[in-house]
Amino acid sequence: MKIFGKRLFRPRSIWIRKIVQWFFFLLIALIAVNHTLVESGGGIPFLSTASLHALCPFGGVVTIYQYLTVGTFVQKIHESAFVLMIIGFVLAFLFGPVFCGWVCPLGTVQEWVAKLGKKFFKRRYNHFVPVKLDNILRYARYLVLAWVVYVTATSGTLIFAEYDPYFALFNFWTSEVAIGGLVILGATLVLSLFVERPWCKYACPYGAVLGITNLFRVFKIKRAESTCKADGACSILCPMNIPVDSVKTVRDHQCISCLECTSEAICPVAKTVVFTTGAVK
Amino acid sequence: MTLTSKPLAAILFVILFGGIMFSTAMGWWQTESTKEAATYTEGEFAGQANPADIRGSYTFGDVEKNFGISPDVLAQAFNVQTDNPAAFAAKELETIYAESEFEIGTASVRLFVAFYNGLPLDLSTDMYLPQSGADLLKARTLTPDQLAYLEAHTIPNATADPSAPTVAPAQTAEPAPEAESTERAVKGKTTFQEVLDWGVPQAVIEQIMGVAMPNPLTKIKDFCAEQGLDFETIKVALQAEVDKAK
Repeated sequence: MKIFGKRLFRPRSIWIRKIVQWFFFLLIALIAVNHTLVESGGGIPFLSTASLHALCPFGGVVTIYQYLTVGTFVQKIHESAFVLMIIGFVLAFLFGPVFCGWVCPLGTVQEWVAKLGKKFFKRRYNHFVPVKLDNILRYARYLVLAWVVYVTATSGTLIFAEYDPYFALFNFWTSEVAIGGLVILGATLVLSLFVERPWCKYACPYGAVLGITNLFRVFKIKRAESTCKADGACSILCPMNIPVDSVKTVRDHQCISCLECTSEAICPVAKTVVFTTGAVK
Repeated sequence: MTLTSKPLAAILFVILFGGIMFSTAMGWWQTESTKEAATYTEGEFAGQANPADIRGSYTFGDVEKNFGISPDVLAQAFNVQTDNPAAFAAKELETIYAESEFEIGTASVRLFVAFYNGLPLDLSTDMYLPQSGADLLKARTLTPDQLAYLEAHTIPNATADPSAPTVAPAQTAEPAPEAESTERAVKGKTTFQEVLDWGVPQAVIEQIMGVAMPNPLTKIKDFCAEQGLDFETIKVALQAEVDKAK
């Protein structure tokens, strides 16, 4: 309901995003379980039995070098990862890192833990890290990306799987999981009590790749200065701590296109923060 | 054009699952290895399957599909005693040759296949064959270079362990010579502690590795994989130091 351009009852969150996140979390979890069941002679009918490596678009990214130079994939990586990488790039080109904000189950789990953190710390949540330090740490994920690409290219093996919290999350019950992955997963979940999406912000190499598309994505988060009340709600609620209220167009490499800052969610004024291709006044 | 969350969710599903369906229709959606070896991209053998792409998960049956070599021949070459050689995976050779002086595994299968079919293979690293495999190859047409490599990389006393898992017990394998177990050879399961025990100082090991030595009980091969180091190169350098220290 709208009166004089303001909504009386507005949702506080993008509820459909939560449903999409749940869907992909359950889908990946079931496939991971099915993969284990099939290896032991069982299995759920009509459900994929693929390994997690086959369903991770980042696997496509790390195998690019070997594919271009040798014509083969890195061990454990298959064509499906390559296909998902391309789909991920198409989505990111259009909408930015929508994969991170809507699909990635590790991001979803971090958001679930964040709910606990928000209950404990209220408005202090997600504002513990000093801004200067935070600004520097945000680029650490590019170092992680460079390291992963380098060691994969030189070794021809998926060494990152030994440290990958996403792999650990869906394989903690198998012998395939590495201690390093479990430790990083545990640290990520604990940190999520204080910081929203710590893995995504500071370490995720795939997020680093997709984040670059925020500079040129087709649909952008834009703020209409003429109607903005400058209440700062969009910035305070942004899970990635992006100062949406101080820019006209969000080009921050950390935006995950969750739309939580838009007028559809937290912004109280209609058509003020929007996800659009056009200009706003 | 402005998008809200519901159309965005719908577009996300359409692009993601539409892309998967399209790639499935095109035959691009493969979630497991097709066990089709990559082919040579240039030269006289362009288009033919390249033995360098044989993976540890390839069974002798997969090798037959790619290279036309019968699983029985492969089983004979590697002294594999099983009722179903087609189901035997190349990586299992490491298990049954665990006591071998030099590593016999997937690389050995690559070597055997390349020489058996007269295909080129990068011989800059050391790959070893048991005597049985070398004997089969010598009956084929080999170049002088291949013959010389074979002579230098045959392990006459390598024996397959019939009690190793995955291999059905059949004939009794030749007993390994007693001296073999005390041989100072750097191989897949050698730990840093063993190299230290053989008289190579930690500083020398670290100089060769280029990184600090981990827990001495770590297997060198595992550590190389973790660090992205080439085990074959490290192995040769460490072996030289071990030989010096004898």
